Parts: sequence; structure tokens; C-alpha cells
Amino acid sequence: MTELLQTLVLGLLLGGVYALAASGLTLIFGVMRVINIAHGAFLIVGAFVTYWLWDSFGIDPLLAIVFTTPIVFAIGWLTYKVVVSPVRTAPMASTVLLTFGLALVLEGAMGEIWGNNSTAVRPSYTDESFTIGGLFLPKAQVYGGLIAVVVLTLLWVLLTKTWLGRAIRAAATNPASAELVGIKVAAVAALVFGIGIAAAGAGGAITAVLYPFVPGSHYAWIARLLAIVVLGGLGSLNGAVLGALLFGLAETMTSAYVSPAWATAVPYAIVFAVLLLRPQGILGMRLREDAVPA
Amino acid sequence: MSVPKPIWVGRALVLAAAVLLLVFPQVSDDLYYQNMIILSLVFAIGASGLSIISGFAGYISLGQGAFIGLGGYTIGVLATRMPETSVWVWVPVAGVVAAVVALVLGFVSLRSRGPAFVIITVAFLFLVQVIAVNWVSLTNGTAGLTLPLPQWDFEIGNQPFYYVLLGLLALQLLMTWWIRRTKLGMGLIAIREDETKAATIGISLPTHKIIAFMASAIFVGMAGAVYGYYLTFIDPRGMFSILLSVQLILSMLIGGKATLWGPVLGAFLIEWLNETANNDWGGGNTRLFLFGGLLVAVVIFLPQGILPAVESGLAWLRTRGKAGLVGARIGTGGSLASLTDRVQLVDRSTIPDRAVLEVKGLHKAFGGVKAVDDASFAVPEGSITGLIGPNGSGKTTIFNLIDDTIRADAGEIWLDGKRIDGLAPWERAHRGLGRTFQITRLFREMTVLENVVAVQRRFSVAQLGKVAVSGAEAKAAEELLEFVGMRAFRDQKARALSYGQQKLVELAQILMLDPKVILLDEPAGGINPVLIDRMGEMIRELNSYGKTFLIVEHNMPFVLGLCDPVHVLARGRTMASGTPDEIQRDPAVIDAYLGEDFELDYRDEHKVGQ
Repeated sequence: MTELLQTLVLGLLLGGVYALAASGLTLIFGVMRVINIAHGAFLIVGAFVTYWLWDSFGIDPLLAIVFTTPIVFAIGWLTYKVVVSPVRTAPMASTVLLTFGLALVLEGAMGEIWGNNSTAVRPSYTDESFTIGGLFLPKAQVYGGLIAVVVLTLLWVLLTKTWLGRAIRAAATNPASAELVGIKVAAVAALVFGIGIAAAGAGGAITAVLYPFVPGSHYAWIARLLAIVVLGGLGSLNGAVLGALLFGLAETMTSAYVSPAWATAVPYAIVFAVLLLRPQGILGMRLREDAVPA
Repeated sequence: MSVPKPIWVGRALVLAAAVLLLVFPQVSDDLYYQNMIILSLVFAIGASGLSIISGFAGYISLGQGAFIGLGGYTIGVLATRMPETSVWVWVPVAGVVAAVVALVLGFVSLRSRGPAFVIITVAFLFLVQVIAVNWVSLTNGTAGLTLPLPQWDFEIGNQPFYYVLLGLLALQLLMTWWIRRTKLGMGLIAIREDETKAATIGISLPTHKIIAFMASAIFVGMAGAVYGYYLTFIDPRGMFSILLSVQLILSMLIGGKATLWGPVLGAFLIEWLNETANNDWGGGNTRLFLFGGLLVAVVIFLPQGILPAVESGLAWLRTRGKAGLVGARIGTGGSLASLTDRVQLVDRSTIPDRAVLEVKGLHKAFGGVKAVDDASFAVPEGSITGLIGPNGSGKTTIFNLIDDTIRADAGEIWLDGKRIDGLAPWERAHRGLGRTFQITRLFREMTVLENVVAVQRRFSVAQLGKVAVSGAEAKAAEELLEFVGMRAFRDQKARALSYGQQKLVELAQILMLDPKVILLDEPAGGINPVLIDRMGEMIRELNSYGKTFLIVEHNMPFVLGLCDPVHVLARGRTMASGTPDEIQRDPAVIDAYLGEDFELDYRDEHKVGQ
């Protein structure tokens, strides 16, 4: 019973981190209809930036989020301006290829800068745990999960309670009309891309403390993130959170009770099954691709 | 300055390249280049196969590399189990295995399109890789498989691999070339251009896609087998690397997708870059930079690829300064009977008095909006029936329900005495239903002639193999284009036509279906008065050959002058039916649609009843 409860709590904490990492992917899709395959790579960029801050300046990796997030935001904003904005109106399949190419470039760049060896961020509390009522909870996971929830809440407030959030939603619903009422859609899009990427970077900062990583880890991450947003419904922030919690639970359950060798197949199987059986996911809208541009 | 016809320059270049490839191993023993050519051949086959589904049918796949891996694993697994059998025997088997697995992707493509499909293909590739890693008893897991070494003379070297791959490439190209010329290929391109529309002109989507996916994998699986044999060692990491797929897709995009030679050119270019990056630029990360950067650059700067870019450049040189067809007059056409012996006048008294098309209790709701709410009406055989009603009354939605562009929530649709509301759009087309769209939906990247020959009157596998672009099919299409007055435009891309011209071509297109019932959605909308008259003439003439029409139109003089009976739709249901005279006297219709002053104006203009 305790073991199950522990698995549940750890699964939910992990789900919080996943939710943060996936929120940007679903936000970018919702606003600009771009499936950012490079999202996992940006997450690993966040992890490496965290490593750099911790290793070179001795900043606590979880507190370093304060620095990591703006740095990754800048990288995302710049990336949008340089490569994504020229193809905003291209067919979605083209932008999938484009962002996939971007992921490869980022992988290569990280390999050049930080090397392809396994990197780990190990602050003093890495091996410490809380023991609460018989539950054995690693400190890093608890801190990471809580920070993820805080950042995610800030993001939610930004999107629902501020003028910028309304502008973003207006630009997502009808770019032409948004432009007419004075919203600079191009600027909003760049901002959204940056924010989405920054969320991935924040997620990367937390996961850096939880798992060792290499530049090539982004494949596994994009598979997870896609599985999460596809499960919750592409474009839906609430869906991504729900999908992330489910996925975090499923993953902890699988590695606890089933063979971890086949666990790597889980995200791919989920993507496959959901896109075939219920393409709109749990909370998502159905993509209309049958309509012809008039 | 005269520019040589590009087709001859192209042929000469291809011939030269083919001869060079054939003799290369005989005149040079440079193993570095031989190896590079062998790998290029593998990728050329893979990219050319990919072009069938991604170039023709428009389904972008990042899982194509999996078929090379599957081919390699088929030969690896079988050759290590049965060492006494010749390894070459397993090459065709690998092709079959790849084609069968490709069926899975084919079925996936029936349910998912666009970016969702791309994502699924990536998931597919990684799933196959995970299986190859974990099914240790079959694949030996991450430790990989070592194939038996070739038994032939050391002197011969790698020549058997080289020539077998060259032969496979020839077969692959022959197949790609053949598909492009047939009804099958036209159907695939139609699917790429507008899948929903393709279904309404009789193109069976599942058949086309499944054949295409199998065709895209069969020779690739064989090439993968030879590749595995050549490498002598295979493991999941190498054989199912996503970079292999990236290399294939890059080859196809850079050379020019949907072209015959583009993927081959691309494969040789990319493999040369790949080797150079590995040997001279430090490999590893540089390779990632190169492939990723190229992918980004191609999507932004060269979406159409090298060969199409060169081709359009040459076309510009050739036609520079010469008048194009823009502004050319639309032909006056002739009577269809004078153009072809496939139609003849029908004696009206022989037409049975029955409904050829009937809808009963049709319902369709979009969320809370009841677009069609219990609509019922009949279209008598041999009639020109009108369907009128205010904007938003559900006319176009009813058309969409009849041809299954949208599936009805409830209700029955009967065509020619048989119920068709369970059938797919192409099956309805085969049973004699033709439909034009309010906003014309031609296949924009196809020529006018191709648009018409893409139509499939009935379904048979044999028909798919018919050559579409010449012969009987093309002749019939040209007769119809002559009839609508658009023959002079036959080689123009559909996207270059004006809206009115597109309407005429779309009419010719659905006439190619030889339908019993023709649904026209606003045939007189947005075209000039002369053309409106011509449209009316053509409808009457076709009607005299026994074609039945159902017409949605807002141009009241046009409808009331042409149609009998007329059904009036309001709020998604039929509110009145009758002759044009009865309809325009009906107070309910005047109230809901025509307006108080309609009768007066209409009578003044047309002297009705005097």
C-alpha cells in the first residue's frame, strides 16, 4: 500500500514537471499551428544552461531557473524571428520538417559546446530524501515538482489574467481580426514562441537535477511531450496538464511494476493509438484539414 | 538565341549518367567512390520510393528509413538462421516484408493526415527500433547481427552489390515513372491536392493509398537487404536511425519531390555531402548541423527542389516575350453530340416517371446549429431540378451530405432506386453522382487536362493501370473540354485559370464521370452574363441526352427559367416544392425568400404570363 502511494505521489510530482515542459508545445501549436519538434531539444538546452550555471558559478540549479528561463526565452525568440517566421503560412507538414531540422542543429550545437558524454547536475541534496509517514520522497523530485507547479501557475495567470494573455488568445482565434483591433500578431507570435520555449527551458532545468542527459536525449523527450499533448489534445493547456499527470503516473507505474525495457515504447504507442483512435485527444479540438482555403 | 528543348538535354544527361554508373566499377577501382555510389544507390531507391507517397500523394513520412532497416533485418535474421542458403534469395523476401509492414502505414494514412501523420511516422520508426532492441531472440538486440561474408572471388570486390542496387534503382524508377502516367498516379496527385474533392470524383482513397504505400516500400526493402549484406553487420541503432529517414527526405526534397529524377539527384548530392562531412569535417555533430541546417534551409528557400526550379527557369527562358494564354477567349464549344458518339438525344417519352435521386428526413447538426433539419425532396429522372432558399438555409450542406463530403447524422439518400447513404463518396460517384462545388475545387497543381482525366468512373484495379495522359482517356477528356470551350487551355495549370474558367473545367471534370445525376452548386455565380447563358445552354443540352440535374442557385431568372420542379429550403427543411410558377406565387416562399417585390420585378423583366 505504501509502495503504491509512494509511486502515485512520485508520479504526480513527475507529471507536474512534464506538464510544464509540455505546456509550451501545446501553447505554440494553439497559437501558431506549428508543431515544434525542436521542443525536446530546447528542453535539453535548458538542462545544459542549468549545468553551465551550476558548474561555472555554483548557482543552485533549481534557483537558477530565474536565469535559465530568460536565457532560453531569448534563444526561442531569436529562433522564431530567424527561421520560423518565414514559413508561418507554409503547410503544417513543412513546419514539422523545419522544426525537426532545428532539433538536429541544436543537438549538433550542444554536442560541440558541451560534448556528447552523459552530463549530470548534482546539488548537495541530490541523494537526500524526505520521509513522511513511511513515504520515501527524494528531495530533488519534491522541489522540482513544486517549482514546476509554481511556474505553470504563473504561466496560467499570464495567459488568462493579463492583457497580453487576451492578445495571445485573440491572435490564436483569428489573426486577421486581432490585427484589426490593434494587436501586432507578428510580435505576439514571436513572444508566444519565446514563452513556450522558455517553459521547456524551465522544465529542462528541473529535469537536469532529476536525470542525467546527453544532447541526443531530446528524441526521448519530444516523444514524451508529443505523447502528452496528443493525449490531452493538441492546443489545449488544460489538456496538456491532464495528459502530463496521466503520463507521469503511467510512466512511474510502468517502471515500478512492468519491465523498464519496454517502457521506452510507451510514448510511441500512445502517440500511435491516440492519433488513430481519437485524434482530438481528451480535451482537444478536432483539427479540420478538410476545409479548402478559398 | 534558341534554347534547346529541355527534354532532350535532360535525356542526354540521364543517359550519360547511366552509362557512367554502368562502367564505373570496370574503369576505376577507387573503393572510396565505389562505396559512395553504392550508398547513394540505396538512398536513391529509398528517396524515389518515398516520392510515391510524399511527392505524389502528399503524405510526408519520416519513417521511410524503417523500410531500409526492415530489409536489412530480414536478410540478417534469415541469412544467419539458414547459412546454407544463398543470401541473395532473401533480397526479394525482404521486399515483401517491407511492403507488408508498409501496409500498416497505409492503414494509418486512412485515418490521419498532415502533421499528425508525420508524427505517427516518427513514432512508427521508433517503435520498430524499440522492437528490434527488445526482441532479442529474433534480432540479438543491441548486440546486432553479423551476416555471412560474401563467398565470391575477392577480385570481383563489391561489384555484385553495386550492380544489384543499380538494377533495383532501375526497377524502382520504372515503377515510379509508370505510376505517374497511370490513373493510379493521377489519383495519388489528386489526393495530395485535395483529398475530399478526389473522393467525390470517384477516386477510392483506401485503394490508392494502400497500393502507394506498398509500392513505396517494396524495392526499398530489397535495397535495405542488399545494404545490410554489404555492411555485413546490422544493429538497431544504425538500421533504424532517424538520420537515415532524414537523409531520404532531404534527398527527395532537394532534388524535387514528385519528379522522376529529383530524388536520385538529391540522393547522390546528399550522400556525397554526408561522406564529406564524416571524413573531412569531423563527422558526428557536423553531420547533425549539416542535415538539420539543410532541412531548415530547404523548407525556407527551396520548397520545390532543384529540378522543378531548373525546369521553371527554362520554361521562363523559352516563353519569355511570347504571349501566353492569359486573356485568350474561351471557346464557344460545340454541341457535345457533334464531338463524340458517346452521347445521344434521348426520347423524353422513354424516361420513366420516377425519382432518380431522393432524400428522406436528412439531418445534420454542427454542434447546436441544425444546418439540415428533416429535409426531404425528390429529383425526377430527366429533370432539371432547382434547390433554392436563403443563405444559410442548408443548400450546400445538403449537397455535402448527398455526396458524403460530410456524413449525415440521420436520413436516407436514394440514387437510382438504391440506398447510398452508407457508401463512401467514391462509391456514390461510381453509381452516377457528379457534383461541382460553390467555390471551385480543381487540383491546382495539375493541368486542365489532368484535372479531367483524374476522374475515375468506376472502380477496378485494372483501370488503375490505364495510362491516363494519352490514349482513349485523354481523347474523351479533350472532347469534354472542347464542349465547355476550354480545350485551348488544356496544358495550363488549373491555378492559372480565372474563377469562371475553373467553373467550366469543373463541369467537364464531372462530366467525365458520366453521371446520371449532376449536382451543380451555383453554376451561374460569379461569372459574366454571356457565360451564364452558355452555362444554361450546356445544361439544357446535357439534359437532352438524359442527364438529370439538381441545381443550387441564387440567380432567380436563371433558376426559374431552367428548372422544373423547384424545391425551396428554409431553416434546413423543404418548405415548398412545385413548378417555377407555383413557387413564385407561394406566399410562404415570397415571405421567406423572394421578398414582396420579387414577383413584380421578375414579371416585368420576363413578361411571364403575358
